[in-house]
Amino acid sequence: MGQGRILIIDDDPDITEAMSVVLENKGYTVASAADGSAGLEQVAAERPDLIILDVMMRTSQEGFELSRQLKGSAEYKDIPILMLTAVKDKTGLDFKSTAGDESWLPVEEFLDKPVKPDVLLEKVASLLSKS
Amino acid sequence: MENLLKSTSLIQRAYWLVRLRWVAIVMLGAATFVAGRFLHITLAAGALYTITGVLLVYNFVLYDLLRYWTWGQKAPSPGRIGRMLTFQIAADLVILTTILHFAGGIENPFSFFFVFHMILASILRSKWESYVHASSAVLLFGGLVVLEGLGVLPHYDLVGFADHGLYDKPIFVFGFLFVFVVTLYLVVYMTSSISEQLRIQQESYERANKLLEEKDQLKNQYVLRLTHDIKGHLAAIQSCLEIVIAGTVGALNDKQTDLIDRAHRRTVKCMAFITALLKLTRMKLTGELEVERFSLKNCLFNALAAVQNKARAKAIAVSHTITTSTDELPGEAVLIEETVTNLLFNAVRYTPEGGAVELEVRDDGPFVRVTVSDTGIGIPDEAMDHIFEEFYRAPNARAVERDGTGLGLAFAKEVVERHGGTIEATRNPTAGTTFTFTLPQRLTPETD
Repeated sequence: MGQGRILIIDDDPDITEAMSVVLENKGYTVASAADGSAGLEQVAAERPDLIILDVMMRTSQEGFELSRQLKGSAEYKDIPILMLTAVKDKTGLDFKSTAGDESWLPVEEFLDKPVKPDVLLEKVASLLSKS
Repeated sequence: MENLLKSTSLIQRAYWLVRLRWVAIVMLGAATFVAGRFLHITLAAGALYTITGVLLVYNFVLYDLLRYWTWGQKAPSPGRIGRMLTFQIAADLVILTTILHFAGGIENPFSFFFVFHMILASILRSKWESYVHASSAVLLFGGLVVLEGLGVLPHYDLVGFADHGLYDKPIFVFGFLFVFVVTLYLVVYMTSSISEQLRIQQESYERANKLLEEKDQLKNQYVLRLTHDIKGHLAAIQSCLEIVIAGTVGALNDKQTDLIDRAHRRTVKCMAFITALLKLTRMKLTGELEVERFSLKNCLFNALAAVQNKARAKAIAVSHTITTSTDELPGEAVLIEETVTNLLFNAVRYTPEGGAVELEVRDDGPFVRVTVSDTGIGIPDEAMDHIFEEFYRAPNARAVERDGTGLGLAFAKEVVERHGGTIEATRNPTAGTTFTFTLPQRLTPETD
């Protein structure tokens, strides 16, 4: 059974619920937020061990901005972020996972939606074991 | 951009004049030689050879200038090239008049050649400028024959061709000039009317084309928006279904499992379609490639690996021949890999059990040529022209596999063309289809 507090920041309540079910079933504690600012408040209140962040919320930039904000703060920069996006599919959004680039996206892992339950659990476990 | 295009096509026209002048120079030299040597016509050969030489130098200078304009750092403005065209036409009229003066004046039938200059002027320049050129031709040639007739200018006899000179017979000179003037103005009138009409037509085509492109962009934005929203809903549906299927929230009975499986299968298919449409539309909208040096070989092997299981299940032999070092192609690896994967998947999908699929890659001049051929069901004649269209599926492909996005080949075409290559499908002599696409080995301005 997994252990750890996970914060899901996504404006799609059904996706959030589906992931929560999978994660809670494995023993994780799950909290959620529906937008960037609520997410930031939750991060401060909950001190999660892992953040699952949707790249496209109300504005297509919200996920990006939040990830940069978190990784730029001394307090939260060590919390791993799993970003939900089609990054592997380069025809979509263009960004790189290396620093220094303007399109730098400072997250540990990417997953395209819909996330398969076993893949989600595997990524979450590996990120939590690293941190 | 429009300015640049205009400059380029104007320079092409200027080259055209220079090329025609090479022909004229050769003709002038040859005619002088043949007339004197074989036809025994006495003419001012010295003067004519000198003019040939001057023309040769003049044309080389123009040619050099055009080359400089074509390859130089800064393209000249359309106005400047236009003025050069005007100058060339005017200078050519003076040169032709001079040649005629030294070769019999009014008695030389080469005076018909003024008609060519009028046609060129009417095609290349505006209507009013062409009339100005016609008028200067009339003034130059008319002045020449009148002054020769009056004895103000010397007349060079064409002995052996027009022995009993007509240049000093007023009735002949005026009759000739009358026809000459009418011919020139009529030629300008007719040619410039036609070319002006063509110009107007071309402009309206260009406008219509631009409008269509704008509409297409609007459509793409609409489709992007729509597919993006649908994808969000589908992702949520699929996530929920997968949790139920995984048994995370408890076991289902057989009938429930069956129905949920059906719902899931349909969702996955719908998702594949929406994802393909989203990719294609995004590419059409942004139109940009992330060009890097990539290994084509890696892409090919990844694509081969991707279809391996499906091919094995149908006992289809997938072979490959790669006879080029393809480690340093400019382009976007992910897109090329997906294109090759698409083509291989199609080949396997539409080839009956026990068939063969072959992937071949070789150098082809400045390109790399990739071919995927199969022993499959083939593409019917009437479908050949449509297979790269969005959503099109050949009837026999539909019969073999009911579900298919009809977007795979449209995507492949978009990717290949964005890279500066081409893609085509041909029928194999025995059975099946061969898809061939090319990729440039070096960067061209389009892919830069």
